[in-house]
Order: sequence, then C-alpha cells, then structure tokens
Amino acid sequence: MEMPSPNTAILSRKVELVARLKTVLPADAVIEDEAETRAYECDALAAYRCPPLVAVLPATTQEVSDVLRICHDMGVPVVPRGAGTSLAGGALPTADSVILGVARMNDVIEVDYSNRFIRVQTGRTNLSVTGAVEEEDFFYAPDPSSQLACAIGGNIAMNSGGAHCLKYGVTTNNLMGVTLVKMDGTIVEIGGAHLDSGGLDLLGLICGSEGQLGVVTEATLRILRKPEGARPVMVAYDSNEVAGQCVSDIIKAGVLPVAIEFMDRPVIRATEAHAGAGYPDVEALLIIEVEGSEEEISEQLALIREIAERHNPVEFREAQDADQAARIWLGRKSAFGAMGQINDYMCLDGTIPVSQLPYVLRRIGEMSEEYGLGVGNVFHAGDGNMHPLILYNANKPGDLEKCEAFGADILRLCVEVGGCLTGEHGVGIEKRDLMVDQFDPVDLESQMAVKDVFDPSWLLNPAKVFPLVSSEARRMAAQ
Amino acid sequence: MQTHFTENQLKDPGTQRANEILRACVHCGFCTATCPTYQVLGDELDSPRGRIYLIKDMLENNRVPDDKVVKHVDRCLSCLACMSTCPSGVHYMHLVDHARAYIDKNYQRPLSDRALRWMLARILPYPMRFRVALLLAKIGKPFGRYIPDARLRAMLEMAPKNIPPVSRNDDPQTFTPQQPKKKRVALMTGCAQKALNTDINDATIRLLTRFGCEVVVADGAGCCGALTHHMGKETESHVTAAKNIRAWAREMDGDGLDAIVINTSGCGTTVKDYGHMFRNDPLAEDANRVSALAKDISEVLIDLDIPEGDETGMTVAYHAACSLQHGQQIKTHPKTLLKRAGFKVVEPADSHLCCGSAGTYNLLQPEISAQLKERKVKTLMAKQPDVIAAGNIGCMMQIGSATGVPVVHTVELLDWVTGGPKPPALMAG
Amino acid sequence: MIRPETESELAQAIAAAESPLNIRGGGTRGLARAGNVLTAAGLSGVALYEPGALTLVAGAGTPVAEIDALLAAEGQRLAFEPMDHRGLLRTSGEPTLGGVVAANISGPRRVQTGACRDFLLGVRFVDGLGQIIKNGGRVMKNVTGYDLVKLMAGSFGTLGVLTEVSFKVLPVPEARAVVLIEGLDVAAAVAAMSDALGSPFDVTGAAHTTAGLDGHPVTMIRLEGFEKSVTYRAGRLRDLLAIYGDIAIETDPDRSLAGWSWVRDVEPFHDQDGDVWRISCKPSDAPSLSARLEADGLLFDWGGGLIWALLPEGTDARARIGAFAGHATLVRASEATKSDLGVFQPQSPEIALLEQGLRNRFDPRGILNPGLMG
Repeated sequence: MEMPSPNTAILSRKVELVARLKTVLPADAVIEDEAETRAYECDALAAYRCPPLVAVLPATTQEVSDVLRICHDMGVPVVPRGAGTSLAGGALPTADSVILGVARMNDVIEVDYSNRFIRVQTGRTNLSVTGAVEEEDFFYAPDPSSQLACAIGGNIAMNSGGAHCLKYGVTTNNLMGVTLVKMDGTIVEIGGAHLDSGGLDLLGLICGSEGQLGVVTEATLRILRKPEGARPVMVAYDSNEVAGQCVSDIIKAGVLPVAIEFMDRPVIRATEAHAGAGYPDVEALLIIEVEGSEEEISEQLALIREIAERHNPVEFREAQDADQAARIWLGRKSAFGAMGQINDYMCLDGTIPVSQLPYVLRRIGEMSEEYGLGVGNVFHAGDGNMHPLILYNANKPGDLEKCEAFGADILRLCVEVGGCLTGEHGVGIEKRDLMVDQFDPVDLESQMAVKDVFDPSWLLNPAKVFPLVSSEARRMAAQ
Repeated sequence: MQTHFTENQLKDPGTQRANEILRACVHCGFCTATCPTYQVLGDELDSPRGRIYLIKDMLENNRVPDDKVVKHVDRCLSCLACMSTCPSGVHYMHLVDHARAYIDKNYQRPLSDRALRWMLARILPYPMRFRVALLLAKIGKPFGRYIPDARLRAMLEMAPKNIPPVSRNDDPQTFTPQQPKKKRVALMTGCAQKALNTDINDATIRLLTRFGCEVVVADGAGCCGALTHHMGKETESHVTAAKNIRAWAREMDGDGLDAIVINTSGCGTTVKDYGHMFRNDPLAEDANRVSALAKDISEVLIDLDIPEGDETGMTVAYHAACSLQHGQQIKTHPKTLLKRAGFKVVEPADSHLCCGSAGTYNLLQPEISAQLKERKVKTLMAKQPDVIAAGNIGCMMQIGSATGVPVVHTVELLDWVTGGPKPPALMAG
Repeated sequence: MIRPETESELAQAIAAAESPLNIRGGGTRGLARAGNVLTAAGLSGVALYEPGALTLVAGAGTPVAEIDALLAAEGQRLAFEPMDHRGLLRTSGEPTLGGVVAANISGPRRVQTGACRDFLLGVRFVDGLGQIIKNGGRVMKNVTGYDLVKLMAGSFGTLGVLTEVSFKVLPVPEARAVVLIEGLDVAAAVAAMSDALGSPFDVTGAAHTTAGLDGHPVTMIRLEGFEKSVTYRAGRLRDLLAIYGDIAIETDPDRSLAGWSWVRDVEPFHDQDGDVWRISCKPSDAPSLSARLEADGLLFDWGGGLIWALLPEGTDARARIGAFAGHATLVRASEATKSDLGVFQPQSPEIALLEQGLRNRFDPRGILNPGLMG
C-alpha cells in the first residue's frame, strides 16, 4: 500500500515538536518513545502499518485546538483516531504525522429526553451512548457491528451504518450538531438541538469526511424511544436468487423490517462450526427482524411468512422467546469471528443495487475459483451493502497481494453494476486507488475543493480517500 | 495477525503457544471496550490489543524488555474481561502469563521493584508470615504518610482492622457430612484468604457438610501459585502448584474425589489452568486430573439441591469477580443460588469492570486500582444494597475498604439462611 | 429565460454565461431574483424506478406531481412530504424535484422519517464553471468520498444546478389515524407532542395550531401503518395523553390526509396578509420563542421544533426573538423586506467563512444566485 514519503524536515524537528506539545498537554498525553508509538501504527486493518512520529491523547476541545495549532504552525500532518477499529485504514499514520486520539474524551455532556437528543464527547463508544439512555428506554440507532468498541468520532468520520440502519438511517441521518476543530485550531459550532441547517448543510458534508475536514470533539445525536419489542425470523433458501427475490417482495409489500441480513453458504458453515447457532446447511440464509408491540410483530411476521413461503424456503424459523431470538442472531453476530478461526481474512464493504445480488454473488464465486482464495458473503440485504470476507494466510508470501487484487476486482464489480465502493467502512487507504473507478477527475476535484476550504494546508489525514496521484499537488504545496 | 517467528524460535513450546495465540488475534479492537485500564487511561498501550501488540514485538525480536513495555504489561489486571469479549478466541491469559515469565527472566527491574516483588512472593503465599506482616502493617498504619513509595503506602492502607486468629478448620482433616454422603470433595484452604478471613472457609465447610459432602483438607496442599504466577515467577509458582497437585492426586487415588472446591475465584482460575501450566512437565497427567476436578464453590452448590429459602427481605448487590465471570466464565450460579435462598439480587452497572483488586494489583498499581475501586463502589452503592456479596477475598477486601455496607462472601449468606450463624460482617453495627 | 433540454446544454449555458443567473425550477418557492433566469424544468423524465429496491432516479426538472403519481401507482411515495409553496406564496408554476432538493423542502413527517436530504441518494449537477459533476449514486449505503449530495440539498442553486437526482422512496402505509387534542396552550401542546414523539408508538407527525378550522387550538398527532397496528397505537396514545384533556381520534383517510396537507402547506396563512417566517428551534424552546414573536398567527410542526409565524409586513422576527439556538428564515415578504432583513439567518463568522469558501470554489465567478445565501 503506497503511502507518501515522510517529510524529513519534520522528522528532524521531532524534539521541538514534542517540547511544544508538552506545553499544552500533560506529559502522559504525549507518546513519543518508539517502543510505544508502535501501538499506534495501525487500526483494525493490520495489514498496513507505520508508526507515527508522536501520538497525543488530549482530554478537552481546547487541548485538541492547541495541538492542531502547533502542528499547523510546524506543518506537521495530523491523523485523528477514535478507537482504531477502522477496517479501511482510516487511522493509518505516516512516519511524519501526529496521531490525535480522542479516547480520553468520553463524557456525556447532556441528555434531553423531551427534545430527544444526547450530547457527548466523541471519544465515547457507540454502544455506551445507548448505555447512557437505556434506563429511560431510549437508544441511539446506528449500530455498526463494532459498536461495543468504536468511537462516535470515528462513526462521524466514516458515516457508519449497521444492521438497523435500514429503518433508522446511518450516522448522518442521526447527527444533529458538532463541535469541529479546524486544522488551524479554530473551534466551530455547527448545528445543535434544532433540526436542519439555517444555511449550507455543513453537518452533512462533515459526516463521512474521514477526518479530513476537522477533528470533531463533541456531537449532538438523535435518540429514539425503544420499540416495545423486536423479534427475528430465520429463512433458509437453496438459492441466492430466490432469497434476493424474497427480500424484494417483502419490501414491495410495504413491510419495513428493522434489519434484513443475508449470509451465504461458506459463512453459514463457518459459523456453525464455531458458534453452533443451529443454522441449516443451505445456499442462502436471511435473518429478518421486525419491531413493535406483540400484536404488531405477529402481524408483520405473518405477512413475511406468507411472502417467504411463496418461494418455498428450506426452513422458516420464528423465535418463540428471547433465548431463541438470541440464537437466531448468534450465528450472524459471530460470523466474522468464525471466519477468522478458519484463516486470516480481509473484510470488504461494497454496495450494490439489491436486484443485482444474485449476479454479483455468482461472479464473486467465479473470481474465487480464479484467484484460488475462499470467500464468504455477509450482506445487509435491505440496502444492498455487501461484506465479502476473503480468506487468505497472512504468513504465506504473496497471499496478501492476491487478496488485495481479488478485493479490488469485487469492488470494481460493485461499481460496474450501479453500486459503489464502500457502504459503511469508508475509503481510508483501502479503496483510495479505486476511487477513479467510481469518479471522474472533475468529481474528485470537486471533493478535494471542499477540503481546500476546510483545510487549505492539507495537513489533516492527507493521504486518505483520494488517490495519491490526485492529491499530490495539494500535499506537495503543503510542504 | 501476521507473525514473524523463526523456526528456531518456534521450537520453544512457550513461544509456539504464543505464536498460536497471536495468529488468532485480528487486531479488531473489541477488547478495548471492556478493558478497565483502557477505560481509565484511554491509551491503546494500556488495552489488551496494545499489550498483545507490544508482547508480539518483544517475543518476535527476542528483545530485552524495555521499561515501557514492562510498564504496560504490569498495568494489566489479568481480569480477562477481554477474553469474554474477544470474537476470535484469543487466549490472552496464556499470552500475558508467558510474557510476564519472559520479562521476569529477561528484565532487570529497578532494585526497589525487585525488593518489593521478592517480599510479596515470600510473604503472601505463606499464611504465618502473612499474619505477621498484617500485624506489622496494622501497627505501622499511622505512619503511612511518611513513606514515600506509593505502593508501600497502599499496603499499609490495605491492612485490615482485625486479624482473625488461626482457624483449626484449615488444618488437614476430614469433615463428615451431616446428611448421607453424596460427594467427597477436597477444599482448598488457600493462603492469603485464611490469614485475612477465616469465616469464609468455616462457612464453606458448614454449607458443604450440611448438604451431604464429605470435605477433606488435603495434607500438603497450600497456596495455588496464582500470586507468583502473575508476577511472572514461573519457577516459584510451579513449586507450590506441584505440592497441591501431589496432595490432591493422593486423595484422588486414595478415597477418591468428586471435586476440588475453591472458594477464592482468583485461585480457582489458576487451578483450572494447571493442565496448561504443567503440559510439558512430568506431572502433566495429574495436573490435568486436578484441573478437570477443580470447581468454584458455586458450581458445586448449584447441584446440591439446596432447598429454596423464604424471602429474607434483604437486597444483595452481587459483585461478579473478574476471575469468576471472565476467568472461569461462571456468570449466573452465584446469583441463582442467592435468589433461591430468598435474597433480592441486584447488580451494579458496568458489572464486567474489575474492582481493581486483581491479586497484588492493588499493591503494585495503587493509582489505577484506586480509580477502579472508586468506580466499582459508586456503581454498587447506586443500587442501595443491604449487603454486598462476592466470590473472591481480594474483591471483598478492596470493596470493603471503601464502603460502610457489609461485604461478605456468597457462601456466608447461603450458610446463614440454611442454618449457619449470621455472618460477622452483618453483625457489626 | 434559458431552458436547456439536456444536461450538456445546461452545462454549456452556464459556461457561456457572462452575468449572474437566477436559477429556477418551477419558480414556486418565491426565490426569484435579478438576473437571467436559467431553469432546469426542461430536464424532465424518470431515468429509473425500481419499486422493489425503493429507488427512483429522475431529471431535476421533473414535476413533483408526475413523480407523486408514478410512485402512488406502485403504492409508494416521497416520505418526507415536501410542501407545495404555491398557496402560501401565491405563486404559480409547476414545482420540480430539483427545486425540492435545492431548498431541502421537508414536511411534517420530517420529524420521524427524515428530511429531503435524508432520502437523497445521489446527484448530478453543473457547477458555476459549467462542469458536470456527480456524487453519491443510487444506493442507500454509500460513503465513497465526500457527501456532496447533502451539500447540494438546501444549497438553493448557489453551488450548482441540479440536473438529475436519485431518491430512496418508501411504501405508502395501509392506514392512518390522527390523535387530536383541543384547547391546549403552546406549552402544554409541546409537552404533549414531546410525550407522543418520545413514546414507542412511532408517531409520524406532531403539529399544533393556535387556531384550527373552528378557531380553537388543536394538537394533532399522526400514526401510519398497517390497520391493526394503527388502531392499537392510537389507543395507547390516547391513554398516554389522557392527562392533557379529551382525546379524539380521526380515522377517516381523506380527512386525515387533508389535515396534514393543511399543516404541510401552511394553509392557515394562505388567505391572510402579512410576512411569513419559518423558525427551526429546540422544541422545548417553542413556547418562549413564540411568545416573544407576538405573532398574528402561529403554526407549530415537528413537535414544536418548527414554528411558522405570521407577522405584520416588514417585522424583524429575529430582532423580536433575540439570540437563540436555531434559525429563522423569511419565507414570504416583499422584495424590499427580504433585501433589508435577509432571507436566511446570519451565520456565525466561522460558519460564514466556510460557506463563502465553498461558494468561491463551486462558483468562482459568482453567477449562481449570487447574494441569495450570503
């Protein structure tokens, strides 16, 4: 994975940088020893690693502002980091950069149930935002699979989704306000407890900007009342096509499930071996969850059953109680861990139009043969977001490269059929070079122009999102 | 993750095992969510993922450990919450234990550190010596503020007000059951626990015999080795563990045993790991037999058909010790037993987070331990309990030092409602 | 008036423009300005509609009415129910899809389901230099690159002219009901609406008028879904809100629809003279803010988070409210008043700087609705 060469001038000024950072941060918030910066050399995309020059752990918005001002002054690139759970390499440093971690900023600032919002510091984990409001029966809707550990700051940077975003939307649909610190240290308050912008939709622009427009230190998030109940059903089919058709029919019938998850045979087999959730051995498995009161759930499930049975499922399984419901979800939730027990894997994230599912799965199967690498698919069927899991052996020379090439082909296929490169994980470094498959130069230029406005110095996470060749002129100018 | 060990390195079974564990880790970061030190410090380096990464680098490169790596590994509580959370089945416990042994062999600690650790290893596992130390600490407590070392100060702070007299129940002997004999079990009487508190073993013996267990305190058994093992002093821990293995094997081969009962969950985790610890030792087979029979007291009690009790009207806040919920994956038995006995059982928020006791952690890492203690006690008190119950002496001491609510062992409450005496802690005004 | 028929014609027209352009869709939203009019109304037509995938792609000039009819035939709709401004502004013309997006027009259901920009999946637009740019696509989950889709929504043509838009559509529910409470003052109404919106019964609209059809205050709470579900939830809400007074439940489909069109299009002010302001605020601030307004008419939507105020011509509503968390937009007034007071709420200096920067990049020559937003 190509990364820009570090700026040797900055490397030679490390001592000065550390001294200046220590004037605005307590000593234990500045990590400069090579034995320690190593731990910050990657996020959850561990295949690509580079220790930063320094890592800092500010505890307040003011400290973040002070750090950025110093780095701006010295021309040092800054890479923001939440919990480091990114699968796209969003927090990968260069050797001349400062990692700015927000993990120490995890307070709840305000909870307002009558106005239905919560304000938090962005180092707080996604699940603990719900944790802060669940006693009153409220929750924060976007639920990425990593929600136990991932930080809200990262969620905002990547516009994270999750299984339940079919009904409740993704982060950008649940974000009401932010405190953004620009690279020059300016603190900007955007949005708040009221709906919609009074001018341009800067919130919408910031959400999904992968830490390149500013560091978000606080966020106002929409909270919702928990529904009275929820229940999943499991539907097993012997054909991907049929499963896809079933999904389409359910949506057309006007049922709005809160989640529709799809797993193919390789993943089903892996989870059975690892978690033993009791799934049948079939080509395609759907997990569909609906919400409401008991009667509402029953009514929706009856309709879903009727539709599902029109297509002759191998099995239609309803959960009769909370334990059974947990069992239905168990396999899906252990899917990634299960695949990981077989071998190393690379988890991709592309979106396709739902109607293209059977075709894409067939093509992926063909490519799997060509590349000689196994692949399983987990799919948010309701919105077309795919997670192919390519199995490889990290300790086998050449396997990683083969895996990357296979992954790139799959993503190009997604674009080819009318979808996009990434539905949830973000571009980071992983899909940077594929951006030219989805966008024309003028499209990329328009996005880079936005960064020009927020960060004219191109110091914030400069080596991400845009192909290095596209951003080169701007990054060179920064030096 | 990708690892870089040479074939030569992998010939060492410890390194081999470490490599297996490291390959299982996918660096996803889920473990950071439930790590107490990550909650407190917000630093990747003080999270399981970060520690795994540092240990990997140290072992792959045969590095002489530097003080930074040692600092972060020392800060690990070994609470094992990460193991409960890890979706990939990484055996963090074996990795960090191996790392500690590696550090002990290869790192020259500062003199004061070495002296302190030496002292702890020479005193805590030996009840007589520990009692003397407790007495000295009790006397020295008022002078604590003149001591510059935070850890020594912490030790003085931890000294309990009352040091119980030696209980003869802890001597090797057999206790006859009050009902027709259903089982024969060995009771591990431990080391530090019986110097600090003799009520727990007394209550355990009463409870077991009341419901049909013949209880034997095996001759030659003593400290399980956990304390020294977690300091990385493998040789010492193996010596004490071996004594236990032999003592219990003798009983197994003699009149037979249905279980080896352990009422300190910190020790239970280690005894259950004897099979792994001794896998390359001549005692391997007996160690496996011992591990297979090792049971936490709650695991034994749950099968003893203890009759349901009347409602006591008392609210018990159940504190789930890390070694019990994460180390041994026992999460419901104690609560079930307490509920059946007639108590209202409540749990604190964030119950997965360690109280900060963690063996000798509260002595060696007083600042972090204090922060965790404060969080734990706050969440427990929020439930307004009449009594706090736990399955581990370390937790009881830690929590007890920061609250006026009585803190007892789960067995003391169960013993009480089935015919035993009221626990002394509940009688104090 | 320049009325291109294709995207490339539109691009050429902009590239060739030598003076400010007044970008227009159907011209119904009252944003006419000086300059040559450039309308996208000629870029009309549905490029793709997949009901099973809830996806619609259409030219920006496509009439909203045409889209509504097409979707209705498949039992689907634009869930964010955009307002028809013609009644309030006494304009004529055919509202276009692009105009809805450019102004981020979102109706009562916005409080539950999201705004126009939350349903927008992709855009094609021409920037101020005549370059054709695309962003987003036709799929719901898309985080590939920056989200210029959101930026274009609500940019009122100042950053580019939309040529094609992609939407997520939703099914039309089987049934609806409206829970009605009469006679509440603003504070009680906001409290009741908060209770309703904070309940698990999936309320899809919460509005309050100080003067309903019979002149009395009415608080309206909408429920939609399968029939049995709606009946159940209406019953539960009735119980929940009983402390506020007598509850009536309207189940007639036509009357329910009409009631919410009435709110959506701000019908109370259609036949009344005066300026109309649109204020977005924190719902619990609505009572104090509306009191300060001393308005001739008030209509609350979004559970109190949206206030429509009728005020004497030329009134500076922002001066009356003072500093507050939110924004006040001048929707209906004379050109002189609009020029005087500004249509949009002045932003903080930091935000103004960013917005100006964006305008400079997307419209360096300053020809797209210049001065409209800043």
